[in-house]
Amino acid sequence: MTAKRALENIRIVDFSWVRAGPWATRWLGALGAEVIKIEWPESERGRLPSSTTPQGLPVNLNTSGNFNDTNVNKKSLTLNVRSAKGLDIVKRLIAKSDVVIENFSSRVLRNWGLGYEAMCEIKPDIVYVSMSGYGHTGRNHAYTTFGPVAQAAAGLTFQSGLPNEAPAGWGWSYMDDTGGMYGAMCVLTGLFHRNMTGKGQHIDQSQMVSSVPLNGPALLDFTVNKRGSRRPGFPPGNRAHWPGTPLVNNYRGPTVAPHNAYRTAPGGYNDWCAIVCHADTEWQALQALIGGTPDPRFATVAGRLAHQDDLDAAIEAWTSTLDKYEVMTRCQSAGVRAMPVQSAEDRVDNDPQLRHRGMYRPLEHPALGTFAVQNAPFAMSETPAVNTLPSPMIGQHTREILEALLGFDADEVRAGFADGTFWPPARPLFPYQEEMLR
Amino acid sequence: MTGPFAGLRVLELADEKGHFCGKLLGDLGADVVKVEPPGGEPCRDVGPFLDDVPHRDRSLSFWYYNTSKRGITLNLKTADGRALFRRLADEADVLLETFRPGYLTGIGLGYETLRASNPGLIVCSLTPFGQTGPWRDFVSSDLVHMAAGGEMASSGYDHTDLPIAPGGGNAWHMGGHYAAMAIMAALVYRSVSGEGQYIDTSIHEACALTTESAIANYIYRGEVLRRQTGRHHAMTTTLRTQFLAKDGNYVTGLISGGLNPRNVKSLADLMNVYGMAGDLRDPKYADPATIAAQTPHIIDGLLADFVASLPAEEVYHAAQARGFTWGAVRAPEDLLGDAHLHDRGFWKAVEHPELGRSFLYPGEPAIYNGSPWAISRRAPLVGEHNREIYCEELGLDAGELVAMAENGVV
Repeated sequence: MTAKRALENIRIVDFSWVRAGPWATRWLGALGAEVIKIEWPESERGRLPSSTTPQGLPVNLNTSGNFNDTNVNKKSLTLNVRSAKGLDIVKRLIAKSDVVIENFSSRVLRNWGLGYEAMCEIKPDIVYVSMSGYGHTGRNHAYTTFGPVAQAAAGLTFQSGLPNEAPAGWGWSYMDDTGGMYGAMCVLTGLFHRNMTGKGQHIDQSQMVSSVPLNGPALLDFTVNKRGSRRPGFPPGNRAHWPGTPLVNNYRGPTVAPHNAYRTAPGGYNDWCAIVCHADTEWQALQALIGGTPDPRFATVAGRLAHQDDLDAAIEAWTSTLDKYEVMTRCQSAGVRAMPVQSAEDRVDNDPQLRHRGMYRPLEHPALGTFAVQNAPFAMSETPAVNTLPSPMIGQHTREILEALLGFDADEVRAGFADGTFWPPARPLFPYQEEMLR
Repeated sequence: MTGPFAGLRVLELADEKGHFCGKLLGDLGADVVKVEPPGGEPCRDVGPFLDDVPHRDRSLSFWYYNTSKRGITLNLKTADGRALFRRLADEADVLLETFRPGYLTGIGLGYETLRASNPGLIVCSLTPFGQTGPWRDFVSSDLVHMAAGGEMASSGYDHTDLPIAPGGGNAWHMGGHYAAMAIMAALVYRSVSGEGQYIDTSIHEACALTTESAIANYIYRGEVLRRQTGRHHAMTTTLRTQFLAKDGNYVTGLISGGLNPRNVKSLADLMNVYGMAGDLRDPKYADPATIAAQTPHIIDGLLADFVASLPAEEVYHAAQARGFTWGAVRAPEDLLGDAHLHDRGFWKAVEHPELGRSFLYPGEPAIYNGSPWAISRRAPLVGEHNREIYCEELGLDAGELVAMAENGVV
């Protein structure tokens, strides 16, 4: 029996590109929605440029590995939305859909004649989620973002790094991943509200603005206590507190030591283990693992904070003799919070927990071959979130969608290819498109 | 208008791992009842505190993550406490819990028991490693999740191998986002089917999913990326993107698409507004080979000098106005002065009636035009709504509540 799906019978018109929007709709597809990705090869962003095409395959619109992982569970319709005929087809699709989602800059859809009011005329209860850099209102709505820029402008970058050095920031577009989460949550919330009230709405999500609430305690420390984050010892590296600076909470949990990353054997680039002790009993357990004579300076949390450099050196003298997973195993057996720094290789190949949970499962893609794809971090008992389709090749489902949803016949499909509605006439077709037109 | 989840009752039995997830639902209109152990949830002991005076009702961390919730105390270690909890669960739509795996089942309050009398109930467990697997009983913290999840392997500096965990408690945010998404999906399903379900969410998996292309680079190409100061992980050292401005703040200035004749001309035009273009307007920069040879001069010389001549905010706005996707690196407090956020009505004054004061809180991640996001109340004081919920809603009389308090039940 086929499992039930949470978003059974939900259809989404998806104009999103690059990362944040597609990361949102990837999950909506895993939850069972039919996601129709509308693309145009001349203005495509997300498939190219590709730095994740497997060695030995040509770099083209269908061979980006990162695109594949970001766009599973979707169908692709190529459509020139800047033509009158293309726009008419978009409107007919919206009339048969529940959700429209896009992550263009703030005025694009309106300029196409597809503002929320226009969509409501086509489909009165449409749930429209826009995912722009700065939102559709506010004086900077036309500003553009990448993840790192949203993170910088919204305070996240500042909270990462060593004191008295430039920010280390985030080594990736955290707010593309997280913006995608908010986009997906906006769609789900909008659908729930529609199901309860019969009313759709426009939800105006912004990558930059969504970043700001992730600084909550630091912001309240300022609005309530007037304490800013431009202060000695902040950000405190991996520590909860930087020695020799005023003792204040630094917004990463209790102010404790040890709280750091320690070198492990054999000293390679990612050979580190993070260890944190909250209660004195946790420190005592760690001390017993390390062995030797207990240092009385480390008996209390105040002492450990005051002598943190010596404490960290003593811990590292122990960890640097052991493999990072061995440090983890010994610490966890004694109830001490410790986990290795895991690279991507470690997560995919060396993490028995992720393997047990099925985080990376193979999925065959017609152009790439079979590769592991990331799965949902939650198991739902009645409506599992599962990857049912690899990412679409560009325009792979154009004919299928036009015929099944809009009642096109084969001649109309061919005519649309000939007149540039479904593919730029001057651009070579992929073999599956040739097949589609036979 | 009310929030999109108005009318839903959520029971939250959550510590630092789950209270953000509860806030996401509460600020969207759900009636979130936080069920704490007698004396209050231990994460009330995490600072900073109002006026730096430690107290379980003064934790700003607790305040922030527990807006739009009511609070009751309940001792699940007592039979009377468990019986009361059954009555609460019978009336709830969602139960969010962060106990160690198997705890609720062990005390007779597992999903199968609760659903027997409330088949529409959605139960979400949000735990460090999930309910199954070899690591399920491991203990964790925000930092150790950022290690195991891969965040640290991607973040750090050019000049040291030390991996850096970005601060702010984001491992809990990552887990909370995915848990909230799963709960919302279950709510949509319930709105058409009437059925509840059980959701087993793993914070480790959520973190492992949140490093953008790092996993794809490894799966498709076998590549393990290296850390770079203030910019994306990459296989080899990339051009720096972080520049120090005149006021001591930094600017993130990426050249989207890299240095090519078109981008160099745009950059020259921007810098020329301030008389800082140097030789960048020279026709020789129409030649990509010249640009390649002069890249250190352009980036570390001209561009760095340009940013150093102005305050970071001025560079940010001037660059954005000319189509550059740049940002000033703001400290959190700088955001209170951000005009764009003010235009969007972002900051919310939240009343703390027991103090006779109100404070500004960060507002909505997204504007819900048809069903507004709102902070309906400040975080609950310890046991603040015991009387309201136990007596007025569950129908206990005042004497029963007193007796239960005396016997350590609430």
